[in-house]
Amino acid sequence: MAIPMNADGQVAVAFWVGICVTAMSLALLAVVLVLRQLAQRRERNHLRATAFWKQLLGEAMRAPPAQAPALPWRDMTGFMDAWNELHDAPGGADNAGMRAVAERIGLAPKLERMLDRGSFHDRVMAIIAIGHLRSASSFDRLTELVGDASPIISISAARAMMRIDAARAVQKVVPQIEARHDWVDGGIAQMLHEAGPDAIRAELGAAVLRANDDVAPRLVRFLAGISREAATPVIGRILAEPHDEHLVSTCLQVMSELADLDKVRPLLTHPRWHVRMHAAAAIGRLGGADDAAALEPLLADPQWWVRYRTAQALEHLFRGDAARLERLRDAQEDRYARDIVTQVMAERALGETR
Amino acid sequence: MSIPPEVATFLLWLQWGFLAYFICINVVYLGLNFISMFAILRYVREHGAGFRIKNFADYQPPVSIVVPAHNEERTIIATVRSLLRLGYPTFEVVVVNDGSTDRTLQAVVDEFGLVEFPEAYRSRLPTQPVERIFASPNNGRVRVVDKRNGGKADALNAGINTARYPLFCVVDADCILQQDSLARVVQPFLEDSSMIAAGGVIRIVNGCKVKDGLLSEVDLPDRALPLVQTMEYLRAFLFGRLGWSPLNALLIISGAFGVFYKERVIAAGGYKSDLVGEDMEMVVRLHDRMRAEKRRYRIAFVPDPICWTEVPSDLRSLYSQRVRWQQGLAESLFGNWRLMFRRNGGAVGWVAYPFMLLFECIGPVIEVLGYAAVIVLGLCGMVSAEAFVAFLFASVGLGVLLSVNALMLEEISFHLYPRPGQQLKLFLVAVLENFGYRQMMSLFRVIGLLRWMGRLRSRAKWGHMRRSADWHDEPGQAIAPQGPAGSPAAS
Repeated sequence: MAIPMNADGQVAVAFWVGICVTAMSLALLAVVLVLRQLAQRRERNHLRATAFWKQLLGEAMRAPPAQAPALPWRDMTGFMDAWNELHDAPGGADNAGMRAVAERIGLAPKLERMLDRGSFHDRVMAIIAIGHLRSASSFDRLTELVGDASPIISISAARAMMRIDAARAVQKVVPQIEARHDWVDGGIAQMLHEAGPDAIRAELGAAVLRANDDVAPRLVRFLAGISREAATPVIGRILAEPHDEHLVSTCLQVMSELADLDKVRPLLTHPRWHVRMHAAAAIGRLGGADDAAALEPLLADPQWWVRYRTAQALEHLFRGDAARLERLRDAQEDRYARDIVTQVMAERALGETR
Repeated sequence: MSIPPEVATFLLWLQWGFLAYFICINVVYLGLNFISMFAILRYVREHGAGFRIKNFADYQPPVSIVVPAHNEERTIIATVRSLLRLGYPTFEVVVVNDGSTDRTLQAVVDEFGLVEFPEAYRSRLPTQPVERIFASPNNGRVRVVDKRNGGKADALNAGINTARYPLFCVVDADCILQQDSLARVVQPFLEDSSMIAAGGVIRIVNGCKVKDGLLSEVDLPDRALPLVQTMEYLRAFLFGRLGWSPLNALLIISGAFGVFYKERVIAAGGYKSDLVGEDMEMVVRLHDRMRAEKRRYRIAFVPDPICWTEVPSDLRSLYSQRVRWQQGLAESLFGNWRLMFRRNGGAVGWVAYPFMLLFECIGPVIEVLGYAAVIVLGLCGMVSAEAFVAFLFASVGLGVLLSVNALMLEEISFHLYPRPGQQLKLFLVAVLENFGYRQMMSLFRVIGLLRWMGRLRSRAKWGHMRRSADWHDEPGQAIAPQGPAGSPAAS
């Protein structure tokens, strides 16, 4: 049998492959070293600019300046860092001195230019900076960005809009909260918290009632997070109607209205364990000693979490009466019921020593 | 020396097979590099520190950190202390004392003032009997499960049974974390509700500085063996894993540090106690189960360097570690073979699994056979010196190219080694590792495979590694020369 290929040919191919990959490796190494140098230079310039503008803006916060130096384009990233950081610091929001500096250096058009020309990171920083500037002229530009494919760009734009004009922004932002599952819940909560309940409650409450059962649990949580009062009528309506058990569970977790307890008690026998668990916890939170009898059978529930939350609920209803809880435990025939009450009693005893 | 012409012809054809294999593996690696480049650029872009969306504490899911410990008397307190310093709103630390024969249990009990606690223990996963559970009156975050010895997987299962929260995080007792490690590794769960597991980059702590149990300064190791492993880890994590993540085809989450959705792991049956590579096997099984149940799921990889671990600085420990890893790999793949080419297997069943099987599991055998064939052919005068040098040149060149690619990925992402001297040092290592180290690792892996085939192992035991702990910051707290072995890090 012959050798499948001319041996010299193989060697030549191997040799040239070696030459090519070695050249590529060396070229890549050179690129790595050059990139590092460029990055370090950029970093030095950025730190210098950040330090300079942080000091200047810090002074302006205390006493509005009569004049301000020009803001060169190369300082923009450092300026935005300083600007955003100081606004997030205590006393930084709505500071007259910083607004005066922004006006003197013509900040709004510069930030809009950054939206067009900057890298991803710089664009996001510019959006945040526009929000802090509360530049009404940029509102329409931000409206376009709320629909951006990137969740970071879009949620940052939404947050900036809420800062500029919450009443106007809420009509654009709430539908996005419903539609966009790629927005991080914590980020939405932060944005709503900043806007405050008055700006949000009506629009968000209406959104909860019109949303389908997949989306509604998130919205209920946001609504209860910004205003328990605003959430109460919505939760009442949901509990009064048949709904998806996840939505019911969410309502049980955030409910705070005593009057709704009548709608909760029947849920103690719900076929889904997480509904029973949250119902027991809600009764423990809001109920009275009379509810103990309804909770007691759940101490022997097949699900550990139902037993645990029920035992905690009972402990809460007994207002820390350890003797009563002990009597309840000793009266249980089910071993698991006794064990779980023992655990909750031990937790309470530990908690008292903490 | 002469050999029959049939044998010679066979060997020459075999060489063609090796060449084809060599081309395939490098093409796949370069492809992974390409995917990793985009993945890392996107990640860095979307997780820039300057605009990181702060999460309200209410929206960060609580996490149970499970720390399996066996004879960790010297390190366990420092580990728990450093975990308690993590910047995360709601978490608990569950230390599982797996039948230690030293004072591990007593050390934790004394340090945190623990008392025996009548917990209504749920035995959702079968484990060796749990003797006692301890809780702390002073620190509600720390609990200890004292159980009979059953190995690391058994300890993890006991920890899962005890965990209160929906996510659990596995941390080796010898790992060094950063303040934001937990927040970063949990982030994928906040971004995608179908997330069931997430792992992160493991880096090498040898040569670094550690303060109060948390990493304070990054540097390269001085000693040769850890230095070579630094390069190896860079390659393994920055494209060996990151490349698979966007395809939802990640088959390994290091047992040193990973977060899992508890109910999914329980539904999959928990960790298998009779395996050496229980961590990798769990991830492969999760893929298999989710595919079988046709559920939407994701397993993600966080490219941030969030966990730092000491690597072996002596050959014996390295040998034992690599043998175990290879055994673990074989167990994981052959134990879940249904995943391969499953009809709805996606990239994991059709690409990642066959790749791991062909190149990572069986690959070392092919590589070692290739070396042997070259030696035999050379001794028979059938390979010229020119051919040998040319093929070696190509092979080393491609190896170096992949390593420099990893350096490039490191540069565009986290640049932990910013000094030109450090980068040149790593480049030099990338070249030198091809002359001896790489061949030695292949041999170790073949031995691991043979041990798996020969069933030479008995019950899976805790691995042991000699530790120098020259990075350790607390005098008198030097690490004892034993502890749990890590998990597959090099892909």
